[in-house]
Formats: sequence, C-alpha cells, structure tokens
Amino acid sequence: MPKRKLDPLPSAAFQILLSLAGEDLHGYGIMRQVAKQTDERMRLGPGTLYSSIQTLLEAKLVEEVDQREDAKIGHERRRYYRLTSVGRRLARSEAERLADLLRVARAKNILRGDYV
Amino acid sequence: MSEKIYARLLRLYPSHFRAAYGDEALQLFRDRFRDEKGLFPRLRLWLDLLADLAISVPRQYRLIQPALVGASVQSGLGGMPSFFVLEDESPRPGSLFSGGLLTLLALAVFSILLNHPGSYAGGMNIDPGDMRNQSSFGEQQATHQNPSDPASAMTGAAVRSGNLDAAERRRVIEAAADILKKYYIDRDNAQKMADALLAHEKNGDDDAVTDGADFAALLTRQMRDVSPDKHLTLDYNRDPLPRHPAGQTPGDVARYRAAMKQQNCTIEKVDILPHNIGYLKLNSFPDVSICQSAAAAAMSHLNGANVVIFDLRDNRGGEPAMVSLMAAYLFDHPVYLYCPRENTTEQSWTRSPIPGNRLADKPVYTLTSARTFSGAEQFCYDLKMLKRATLVGETTGGAAHSGVFHRIDDHFGMGIPETRPINPFSKTDWAETGVEPDVKVKAADALATAEKLAGEKLPKK
Repeated sequence: MPKRKLDPLPSAAFQILLSLAGEDLHGYGIMRQVAKQTDERMRLGPGTLYSSIQTLLEAKLVEEVDQREDAKIGHERRRYYRLTSVGRRLARSEAERLADLLRVARAKNILRGDYV
Repeated sequence: MSEKIYARLLRLYPSHFRAAYGDEALQLFRDRFRDEKGLFPRLRLWLDLLADLAISVPRQYRLIQPALVGASVQSGLGGMPSFFVLEDESPRPGSLFSGGLLTLLALAVFSILLNHPGSYAGGMNIDPGDMRNQSSFGEQQATHQNPSDPASAMTGAAVRSGNLDAAERRRVIEAAADILKKYYIDRDNAQKMADALLAHEKNGDDDAVTDGADFAALLTRQMRDVSPDKHLTLDYNRDPLPRHPAGQTPGDVARYRAAMKQQNCTIEKVDILPHNIGYLKLNSFPDVSICQSAAAAAMSHLNGANVVIFDLRDNRGGEPAMVSLMAAYLFDHPVYLYCPRENTTEQSWTRSPIPGNRLADKPVYTLTSARTFSGAEQFCYDLKMLKRATLVGETTGGAAHSGVFHRIDDHFGMGIPETRPINPFSKTDWAETGVEPDVKVKAADALATAEKLAGEKLPKK
C-alpha cells in the first residue's frame, strides 16, 4: 500500500527525502530544510509534513532515530528521522528520472542551458 | 491563544494521526510561531496552516478508506458479518449526548408514525393478536421441531398466549382427526368423531374461540358428544410439551434406578406400632424389576402383624405391576385387579397366595389424602371394591391416567385410551372424581383414626 501512495513519488515526499540526504533532522528541521532547498517555495505545514513522514516510514524509506534535544532552538526532546538506504536509492532514481526529463526539455528547447 | 486555536484545529485529524503526530505538529507550530514574528510572517503562517489543513485532513481520512475496504473484504471471506473498530478513541461526551438526543428523537418520530393510521388501508393497522404472536417468536424458534412429526408443520404457528386463527384451528383439528383414526380403539367411533370435528369446523362452530384452553375444551366436548368416553381428551398446555415422554431414555432409567436405591424404593417407613399393628408408608409403586426385593423385605417385616396399615397419603402412583405385587400379600387366592391403563390379561390377577405370607386374612387399612394419585388410587379402589381394605382419610386426587398421550404440537395433545379393560366393579372408576374413603377424616388425622379403628377390631385379651 505505501508503494501505491508513493508511486508516483509526491513532491513533498521527494523533498523530505532530499532534505534528509545530508543529515538526520527533526520535523521542524525538515520543514526548514525543504523551505531552504526550494527557495521558500515549499513550506510544509504540520499536517502535510507528518502525513508524508508517516507514509515514508511505512515504506521504510526513512526511519526514526533516537529522541534528542536541538540545542539551537530549545530544550524539548525531538524525534529525529534518517534516510534509509532504500530511501536514498529511491531518491536517486527519482532524481535521475527528473534529470532525464530535464534533458528532454532541453533537447526540445523548452529549457535553455547546458546538458546535465 | 494561537497555540490553543491550532490545538483545537488539530482535532480535525483522525485520532490515530493525532496520537502519532499531534504533539509534534503542535511543537512545529510553536517553533514556527516563535521564529516567524511580525504581521506579515504571522499572516503567512496562518495561511500556510489553513492551506495545510485543507489538503492534509481529507488526505488522512482517505487513508482510512483502504483499511475499511480491507476489513469488509475480510468479513466477506469469512461469510459472517462482523464489526471492525477503525477508531480506537472513545466518543467524547458531547458526541454521546448528541447521539442520545438523536436516538430519542428518532424513537419519538417512529412511535408517532406507528400509531398513525396512515393513508393506505391496513398499512399501519396492527392487530393486537398479531403483536402477541410476534412477541413470542423467539420462544417458538427455541423449540426444536421434529421433521418426522406429522403435525410439526403447525408448531411454528402454535400459540401459547391464546390467540388462535382459523388456519391454526384447522391444523389442530386435522391433526386430532388423524390421531383418532390412527389410534382410537373403536374404529367406527373414531371416524364419526373425526368427521364431527371437521364438520363443526366447516360450519364455523369453532370460529369464535381464540383461546387455546377453550378450544381444547370445545373439541373435547365435540368428540364426547359422539362417543361419551371420559378418557378421551384434547388438552392445551401453555408451556411447550416435551418432545419425548419421560423415562424413555437409558439415561432416565439409570437415574430412576439410582433414585430408587437412594430412597429405598420410596418405602419411607416400615414399623410395628403398638398393638402389633404393621405400618408401611409407601410413597409410590415403583418398578418391580428394580424394587421387588425391597417390597418383599418390607412385607416380610410386617408378616407377623395383626393389622396392616398402608399409608398412601403421599403416594403419587407408579406401576400397576407393583400395585398387583403388594395386593397379592392380602389374598390367599388370585383376585382380579381393575387397572384402567392395561387390558385385561392374566397379569390382571394377583399372584396370590404368596408362600409364607400370613397377612391374607388380616384387617387392612389404607390412609388416603387428596395427594394420593394414580396407581395408589388403583390400589385403594380395587381393595375397596373387593372389600379387602378400609379407606381412611380424604378423597383421592382422581388421576386415572388411562390414556396414551399423543403430542400434536408444542401446546396441544390428545389423551386417547387405547385399551378397554373390564371394570367388574362399577361403570365408572376414579378418574376426575377420586376414590371416596370409607372413613372420611382429615389426612393428618388418618393414622390416628386407623389405629383407633384397628385397636377396636383387635381381639381383647
């Protein structure tokens, strides 16, 4: 069932996978990372964020790691999430699919610039 | 304040989502609220949150649907309807209150609609009789129906509360006619009675009767009008009649045997009273095959007595063979005992004299009460008719049990005499009237009276 929910991979889920590619993050960290990597175009609300995380957890694309404090923003213990190897592979294949799409777009002169 | 508002908005999500991520969602709100200060950022925050709610709440409820579909597929496979709890949260008091209010409202509306005659004929006119039949549906279901029973088809419609309709009356009558023709000893009269029952039904003579007991009494009268046989009855029983007559299974026999052993064959007391009066309190006439030796031992104990008192005040009857065995001690030659239950055969004579027995010429008293029944009444009746015993006490119960009972359905049955024994003493026996004592006293005073009478008869020393 999670496979169906993630096929095609929703944009929010892909952004979450990308946000976790560098480091483990808690929910608010993911939200801020996604906003950052999309130039503030995507600000994940709590409902969308956690419902996506729930789906990714069920598909074992991300996993929960220990609860700990984030000293930068407060003393509350937060749940951290980590990208799994499956999640990383899926993120890569999604990126490659988008890259293929991009190449086609450039070949058709829809998008200017160098080939990637 | 803002946090409270968002906490309330979070309630829009399904409970499983709130349980898993409610705290974190609230924490994320707090983080953003703390970091995004100023009018514009706050406005953007709230717009983000509302947009998020609009998208993610329906999505969460859509996620429940596959679980619902999965559950219904599983239940379909099992073939049995079942319930699945998708929400593990108990309803809130407000929801319970609203639900209760709606239920009461719906009940009130249905009650009003049910009492309303309606616009089409007969649509809502509920016959009270029908209502009673419906109310007894469960009980009827609980009764096991024997498919081999010729009248079993009607048992489903059997009525215990006294509401017979024409179809039910006809079914009882047809079953009664069948039983008469099949079992009644006098074939000619059986046919006449069956015809009479059907003719009365056809003429509408039974139409006014809706009560089960009244109907049974009416049919009994109709049969006896043709042939005045007081042992022929059609009975109504409010409680469902047993499927099998008692004492028929091996288990019943074993239980009876154990009970007889424990109760010393219902011989409550064997004693020699003052003035050498033998006293036997016997509370039934049990099965000879089980209790013959116990009976013989009791009679042997009394063998030297000058007078014998049989106390049958608590005797509820039993086997004619035991009646005959006990009576045999009181004669020095075989005598005929009338028993309405059995045809006249050589078994109808006592096996007197019994070797070594010295009671054949001794005075005999039997003590009776209104509780003296059936086989005990036969003992009293025959000894009285043979002028062999003096009956002291009350008129007996009047249970001749002279017919074989045929079950029609759960509530109706017929008592039919299948034998025609000769009664050499009288045209009538004790059925319904009981056996009149020779000395009428209260049951409690019967023993003292009998002792006194016996004392007077004993030779003065």
